[in-house]
Amino acid sequence: MASSDITEFRACSRCLYTTAHPLGLVIDEEGICSGCRVHEEKDSLDWNERWMRLESIVKPYRSQSGRNYDCVVPVTGGGDSYYVLHLVKNLLKLNPLLVTNNKYFNTPLGVRNLANLRTRFDCDILVQNINPDSVRKIIRSTLRKFGSIYWPCLAGQTAFPVQTAVRYEVPLVIWGAHQGLEQVGMFSHAHEVQMTRRYRRDHDLMGYEADNLLSTFDSLTEGDIWQYRYPDDHDLKSIGVTGIYLGNYVRWDPKAQHEQMIRDYAYQSAGFSRTFDTYDFVDCFNYMNLHDQLKLYKHGYSKVTDHACREIRHGRLTRDHGLALVLQHEQKSAEYTGMFCDWLGVQPGALQFLMDNHRNRSFWRETAPRQWEFSGPTVNGTLQLSGVGTQGKSSDRCVFKKNSALDTRENAKYITIGKGYP
Amino acid sequence: MLKKRLVAVIVVKDGRAVQSFGYRRYLPLGRPEILASNLDRWGCDEILVLCIDRGRQGLGPDIGLLKRLASMRLSTPLIYGGGVMTAEQAALVVHHGADRVCIDFALHQDDVQPIREMAVRLGAQALIGVFPLARLGTGLQWLDHRNGVSRAFSRENIALFDQGVISEAMIIDWSHEGCAGAFDIQLVTRFPMHNVPLIAFGGISEPSQAAVLLSLPQVSAVAVGNFLNYTELAAQRFKQQLPDLLLRPTTYSRYV
Repeated sequence: MASSDITEFRACSRCLYTTAHPLGLVIDEEGICSGCRVHEEKDSLDWNERWMRLESIVKPYRSQSGRNYDCVVPVTGGGDSYYVLHLVKNLLKLNPLLVTNNKYFNTPLGVRNLANLRTRFDCDILVQNINPDSVRKIIRSTLRKFGSIYWPCLAGQTAFPVQTAVRYEVPLVIWGAHQGLEQVGMFSHAHEVQMTRRYRRDHDLMGYEADNLLSTFDSLTEGDIWQYRYPDDHDLKSIGVTGIYLGNYVRWDPKAQHEQMIRDYAYQSAGFSRTFDTYDFVDCFNYMNLHDQLKLYKHGYSKVTDHACREIRHGRLTRDHGLALVLQHEQKSAEYTGMFCDWLGVQPGALQFLMDNHRNRSFWRETAPRQWEFSGPTVNGTLQLSGVGTQGKSSDRCVFKKNSALDTRENAKYITIGKGYP
Repeated sequence: MLKKRLVAVIVVKDGRAVQSFGYRRYLPLGRPEILASNLDRWGCDEILVLCIDRGRQGLGPDIGLLKRLASMRLSTPLIYGGGVMTAEQAALVVHHGADRVCIDFALHQDDVQPIREMAVRLGAQALIGVFPLARLGTGLQWLDHRNGVSRAFSRENIALFDQGVISEAMIIDWSHEGCAGAFDIQLVTRFPMHNVPLIAFGGISEPSQAAVLLSLPQVSAVAVGNFLNYTELAAQRFKQQLPDLLLRPTTYSRYV
């Protein structure tokens, strides 16, 4: 069910998510959501025992001859790549092959973080550069069809690691946390969910596999989309590809992990206008800007709500303080829009027209031509009325440090191919 | 049927696929039609879409969902359950692409004439009776989950099977639903209608469990829900660990 079908939605009384969440959210009879319930497991599981289980799971995948890699690890210049690699290389003592998909919206900071990661952890890396003309064509199509400028990034970063596992015959792929588990409690940690084609299509790709983009009413061709295909079942079976999530075996806390990586490996962070988190997505000009704005248009909430919910669950923010932070950030304008228009070859007015077509009428009202009023859960009373016992003072541990900027140059622009850092 | 079957179950609540645990706790999964498309490619023998809130809320069958499922062009036989109370509704469900229909709340009605009418219109082969059961002493208790009240089988229910109105019974171990390896086999061995082919569901996670169940002559199929969502190629792995004679062989799709 798309959010557009939702006319009534309920909010969790503990965090700030509602049943309009695109991954789905179930609220129990006590008013607590599935995401908060699964998060409770983080304080009850025996994480030492979980770690030993992880060690036993990866053991058979170690290359006996030492002539092949032990695993494939997808990385970027932002997100949780440093911590994942710290666990894989330093603690599990595996020899990983790193893979990264070039999203073309790269910030200098992201290129720097990725180069630093390669150097510090001393790993081989494969970079996939898909024809940028095809990427542009696909973005024009996905923006028009389902309001996404990020489909090629998501499709590439979820397909390339698995394609590499098949091509290099390295069956184990190691991911960080499972987004569905962390946000909406799609699975218990005990389910030990693995990477699946179904989850990728359903959630990462918003229901659209690469082949679903081909249409007689569009200009996309086979040559544009073939590199985004997930390997077929026969190949997955013959290589024995298995994608595991470290979040099932390690108590996942991105804030604490990033701070450890800043201390130990010189990871760098940057500020954004649309959220208070300075650690995530610093590798991309668009994720926390245009992509995030589209998320607000389509789903009635944005990344700052994800960040606030995470911090509320970790006990560093009160619900009221989290809501105040969301209100402070979610309507901020997206930055770097002009850069995206130049890259895609569209006028800003045309881009806004396309984006407006995807505003969800459950959350937006057109008060006059091209004038929109937000009526989402942060302003219509849904969140204000549903919180119980949420007042009080937030922990002083909820401070996010910024030690760099996305781009320190006078005229910021995408680094479409960036191999290293000067 | 020469072969026995692995039935993949998609539980749907509020229009979304969910994991269900003991009929009381749910976790979100995704779009039912995308789950169905995946199970179809995996080569499950049948797909059961069970909309658990349609009957309770008196909403009738979810025709919108059936249309979305039809748009996925599934080749696997589709069973639909949820909100079907009349012959007209059952026919509408089949008209929109389901091959068979599950009857649940209609079985609890004093008047079973609508079920007889369904059989006349669609054929008994198209009808599956759903029985959420728990063991109580030496007997079985059949749960009406609209009101949480359990009771024994009625003479009318038994007659529906004896007279060939319904072709199969689905036994749900509702209290163990979602618990790994927890299906109570005595629900099958104590089921009072002896000549009825049975589909066992609820807490079946292990191929070894399925092998024991499928070795019983009265069991025609095992149904698996939550446990097909945790790993890639879960259905094929499940089937591969069962003796070839019991189930259709596994398949692995190729692009070319």
